[in-house]
Amino acid sequence: MKNLVTFAAEDHILHLAWSHDGGRLLATPASGSILVAGQDGEILETLPGHGMGNGEAAWFQDAPATCGFDGKVRLLGREWSPGRGLIERVKTSPDAKFLAAAQGKSLHILDQEGNESLSIRDLETSVVDFAWNPSRSREVATTGAGGATLWRLGQKKPFARFDWGGASLRVGWSPDGRWLATGDQTPSVHIYDIPRDHPLHIQGFEGKVQALSFSSDSKQLATAGSAVATVWPMTGKKGPDGATPIQIEGCESAAQALDFSSKGLLAIGDGAGILLVITFEKGQFRRKRSKLESGISALAWHPSQPILAIGHEDGQVMFLALE
Amino acid sequence: MSRIPVTILTGFLGAGKTTLLNRILTEKHGLRIAVIENEFGEVGIDHELVISTDEELFEMNNGCICCTVRGDLIRILGNLLKRRDKFDHILVETTGLADPGPVVQTFFVDEDIREKTFVNGVVTVVDAHHIARHMEDTHEAEEQIAFADVILLNKCDLVPTEKLDGLEKIVREVNALATIHRTTRAEIDIAKVLEVGGFNLDRATELNPHFLEPDAHHHHHHSDISSVGIEAEGDCDGKKLNDWLSKLVQEQGQDIFRMKGVFAVKNQADRVVFQGVHMLIDAASGGPWAGRPRKNSLVFIGRNLDREALNKGFRACLA
Repeated sequence: MKNLVTFAAEDHILHLAWSHDGGRLLATPASGSILVAGQDGEILETLPGHGMGNGEAAWFQDAPATCGFDGKVRLLGREWSPGRGLIERVKTSPDAKFLAAAQGKSLHILDQEGNESLSIRDLETSVVDFAWNPSRSREVATTGAGGATLWRLGQKKPFARFDWGGASLRVGWSPDGRWLATGDQTPSVHIYDIPRDHPLHIQGFEGKVQALSFSSDSKQLATAGSAVATVWPMTGKKGPDGATPIQIEGCESAAQALDFSSKGLLAIGDGAGILLVITFEKGQFRRKRSKLESGISALAWHPSQPILAIGHEDGQVMFLALE
Repeated sequence: MSRIPVTILTGFLGAGKTTLLNRILTEKHGLRIAVIENEFGEVGIDHELVISTDEELFEMNNGCICCTVRGDLIRILGNLLKRRDKFDHILVETTGLADPGPVVQTFFVDEDIREKTFVNGVVTVVDAHHIARHMEDTHEAEEQIAFADVILLNKCDLVPTEKLDGLEKIVREVNALATIHRTTRAEIDIAKVLEVGGFNLDRATELNPHFLEPDAHHHHHHSDISSVGIEAEGDCDGKKLNDWLSKLVQEQGQDIFRMKGVFAVKNQADRVVFQGVHMLIDAASGGPWAGRPRKNSLVFIGRNLDREALNKGFRACLA
């Protein structure tokens, strides 16, 4: 792996997001200015931070949308304060028509004209995380205390609710829309096979599961939750139910960032600065291991090239090219 | 890395929490304090160091009150702790109707938060003018008093001086351990709020040397929440003590709001300090005895406590 370029933000990198065409990277630190960098590492834009803490930013209408603890969303030169309370992340719908922001018990949905008539309000519990259905742009899953809930924009009531109890921190939808998975505060993962209407609860993690990632072909789900990352097979009628997962060792502390590339490479980063890049082949895997200078807090593969953006706890951002 | 102290600020609606918060945020105390505000009242605090959040309870174990924590706090604190420029102190304000249990438990249950922060103290603001009615009408007001390390008996200007002693006695019946300050418009030396020092049983005994005695509270109880203090000379058997406390919290954890203790454990040169919330207990070395007599002091604050059974149970742990 070759280090192409490095640049620095003011604080611990919270989130990285490539623009749709891969020409720019949005780097969100825990506090301070949010950076837009070119593929050559040049800082193209320095966006103001959100007070006490930034939330995870996203690309919307080919421009950065940022949010944070000040309860504001900034996009397209405008500032929007939908209510009181922090906003931890914004996410763009797969068809790029809507931007969603969770704030307390509301999921604000903003369209290109700035209308928010499709917002979902007065949920039973706060929205800790949410995910758009990659295969159906008007469906979104919310999660938090008690389970996950599926919504269709424009409908006031959810079309499905998974009351599996506990408390979920992350939710992800497989690209084909078949699987919904949550990473939980109680060290576990819940997986729901939507067409089969079948839940699965996987326990035995050492710590809370704060990161999960589906492969682009929906055949694998990688989960963090300990120094051993686990990759679950999602193929077949039952998916991971009864199957043996792949356990990937090599981290020195709990894996805290995971990302599958569009070509099926899996990157894993831990708080000790260990980077693992995994290649899967016929049920086997090959592992490249590197020790970097600072803990790895965010990972993002370039959408089309074998370039990995790595965000560090010390604020550095590095672009690595696979050789 | 030193852990960041956290103060939890509770108090019934209208007791004066916001007034106290404003003082903390505006006075020159030289500390950089992050405030996590949970009170979505009509008048919010607009300050660069304030984060507003919606209370979000995470039930970790099928609705067990002892395993309920605040999910929003875990994530906000997690983010604040990632920052390069750390805070000197974090202050968490609860809603007026909140049970402080889940807030305190958050600092026991979540490993990351526990590693990097500690509960320096629970401060409860009490409206002296209305407290008697609040305690009659709701459980929350009593529970907030029960959890406190420091109580501000606020709005004292609205109550005749001769009545304040009686009010203080009512508060003391619920929580014999807390330090009580009488205030008006929450005017108090901020150090008395922020520098609580967490666990300090010695301070409480200095304040009221008889509070640990079984017959110290012979007056009529207004509440089913009370404090039980136990004091005994001699060393404890560590295993017996551990077994007893484990069984006790298993069986009565829901009713025990807070526990604190200093133990002389056989074959251990240093003091063992312990504190607990509901079913969660935590023990650590409390440093050398430094000339003080080796003795055990233990306090329970909770609902329907059986003083005699607790005394008997503890004394059976003596070596």
